Amino acid sequence: MIPTGVLEADARKQAALDLLVRYVRVVDDPRRIEEWPDLFAAEAEYLVITRENYERGLPIAVIRDDSKDRICDRLVIIKQFWGAGGRAEDHHYNAGWPRHIVGPTWVESGDAGQLLVGAHFMVWSTAAVDGSPRLLVVGEYRDVVDFATGAPKLKKKTVILDTSILQDVFVYPL
Amino acid sequence: MDARRSAQVGPTDRSPDGTLGPAAPPAAPDLLARIRWPQEDNKIPREIFTDPDLFRLEMDAVFTGPVWVLVGHESEIPRPGDYKTFSVGAIPVIVIRSADGRIGVLVNACAHRGTRLVEGPSGNVGRGGFRCIYHMWTYDTEGRLTAVSLPQDFPSDFRKEDYGLARARTETYGGAIFATFHDDAPPLRDYLAELADGLDRVLGDGALRYLGAISVIFRTNWKLYIENIYDGYHVTALHTGFQVVRLRSHGGERLVPNYERHGHLWGRSHSTPVDQLNPVLRDMSLFEVRTKPSTDHNIMVVFPSGVVTDYFDTIQMRYVVPLELDRTMIEFVFFARAEDTEEEVWHRVRQGPAVLGPAGAITLEDAAALERVQLSATARGENVVLKGTPRRFPPYRHVDEAPIRHFYQAYRRLLGFTLPSEDAPR
Ligand code: FES
Ligand SMILES: [Fe+2]
Repeated sequence: MIPTGVLEADARKQAALDLLVRYVRVVDDPRRIEEWPDLFAAEAEYLVITRENYERGLPIAVIRDDSKDRICDRLVIIKQFWGAGGRAEDHHYNAGWPRHIVGPTWVESGDAGQLLVGAHFMVWSTAAVDGSPRLLVVGEYRDVVDFATGAPKLKKKTVILDTSILQDVFVYPL
Repeated sequence: MDARRSAQVGPTDRSPDGTLGPAAPPAAPDLLARIRWPQEDNKIPREIFTDPDLFRLEMDAVFTGPVWVLVGHESEIPRPGDYKTFSVGAIPVIVIRSADGRIGVLVNACAHRGTRLVEGPSGNVGRGGFRCIYHMWTYDTEGRLTAVSLPQDFPSDFRKEDYGLARARTETYGGAIFATFHDDAPPLRDYLAELADGLDRVLGDGALRYLGAISVIFRTNWKLYIENIYDGYHVTALHTGFQVVRLRSHGGERLVPNYERHGHLWGRSHSTPVDQLNPVLRDMSLFEVRTKPSTDHNIMVVFPSGVVTDYFDTIQMRYVVPLELDRTMIEFVFFARAEDTEEEVWHRVRQGPAVLGPAGAITLEDAAALERVQLSATARGENVVLKGTPRRFPPYRHVDEAPIRHFYQAYRRLLGFTLPSEDAPR
């Protein structure tokens, strides 16, 4: 006989893992990128930082979207700034299919019913301009998943890049 | 027949050279003759982006030629023993603050059998100095060899004084650190010439605070990255973000200080204040100026490979390192002013990489365009520079691409290519 508390904990853990899978499917599919801000809580932070700066305590990050506003703005930058003013089928970046490969994933409990999700990951992108598959980054996710509204949301996603020299620019969030 | 003359082979290359001779004798006349450079100063043969022999020659003739290469800022290495690693062309170096506080640039290769002494981008050597892992020779922060393991049976005339690390000549301006490996490089202040006024505006007295750096590899030749900074023409066309927020630059100009010899760039512009922009972003602080009286920007190239700018409130230097013919590392380095409030520092931290960085609103389009130029450079033929070229000399307008000509003039002189004809049509 399994106590209900354990069942609930298992369900929440599974929900947090499902959120990670949904995250990957959204950032890897340019047609679904509009769903990306929805994965975050109403107050949330998305941080991409090199391991070099992270370990030295230097504040410069590749991306520091430290508010939901900035997270939403990222879509505008992708679609309109880099997207040639938002004209359909036009863009001023080199297109590619991003492909996240997420390795070992672990879940721990955090404060206030939050869960901490960690994972190793890498991102490849196959560029349209010459057909070459490119390793963009290798690193680690440190997510804080919040259940305050019932559904799991990212309260904070920290992406730490081992590849302190970025191997290429990237368009879609890591 | 001198070697420079022997490079004039093609029918279009027979007109007289420019009035100034090359700064260094050409190292490989055959190679230089193979690349046909038109006599007009606004045409660029695409072969210079695809020729592997030329790339190797550039590492010597440009990066260890009579130039000063921007390698860092003093605030990156504030304490004695602090160092960072870097490359001057193909030469790996250690930029270091010595035990007594002096800035130096040492070659990152053991004097014994050449092992790289330090790994990683930065650190502090502490009291022990650099110890080579291979046979445990040890050097102090000035590069002097201080200890050798098991020196029995060395030749009797072995003296530690003869085996220090090779050093570059090093000078600083406004805290920016420059290095040269060439005896004929003039004093740094002479090399910078009028560009010093621009550097003064951005670097002030050099009292900056280092906030961090982000490095990225662009799949393009290093010259295409640098000429892009000279190009004011692409800015509104390629960077559509400026159109989206309706940011316009006006009253700007592009100067080429010391263009007769070194061809640095100093671009100045004045742009629409943030409260008059189209507020398409919820957080418009990307385009906000809080620390300066107006939205005046400066962007400079210290020939051949340093970029210095104060764009909005972002104080940035870029160190451009050629890795291979078609791969160039750009290190975006961000600073605050020493006297900034914490709010001002934080504003710079949030703005800098969001605008001018690998994931910045106004950067990745350059990577895309420059990669495409590189990929199609095998088409041969020439790239052409038109906008602003009816003016022969600076100042140009900030929307002109004409300053690119001066970059290549300085480049051609260093390499020993024939110089453009003074009275060639353009
Ligand atoms: S190579 Fe450094 S001690 Fe021998
Ligand atoms: Fe640009």
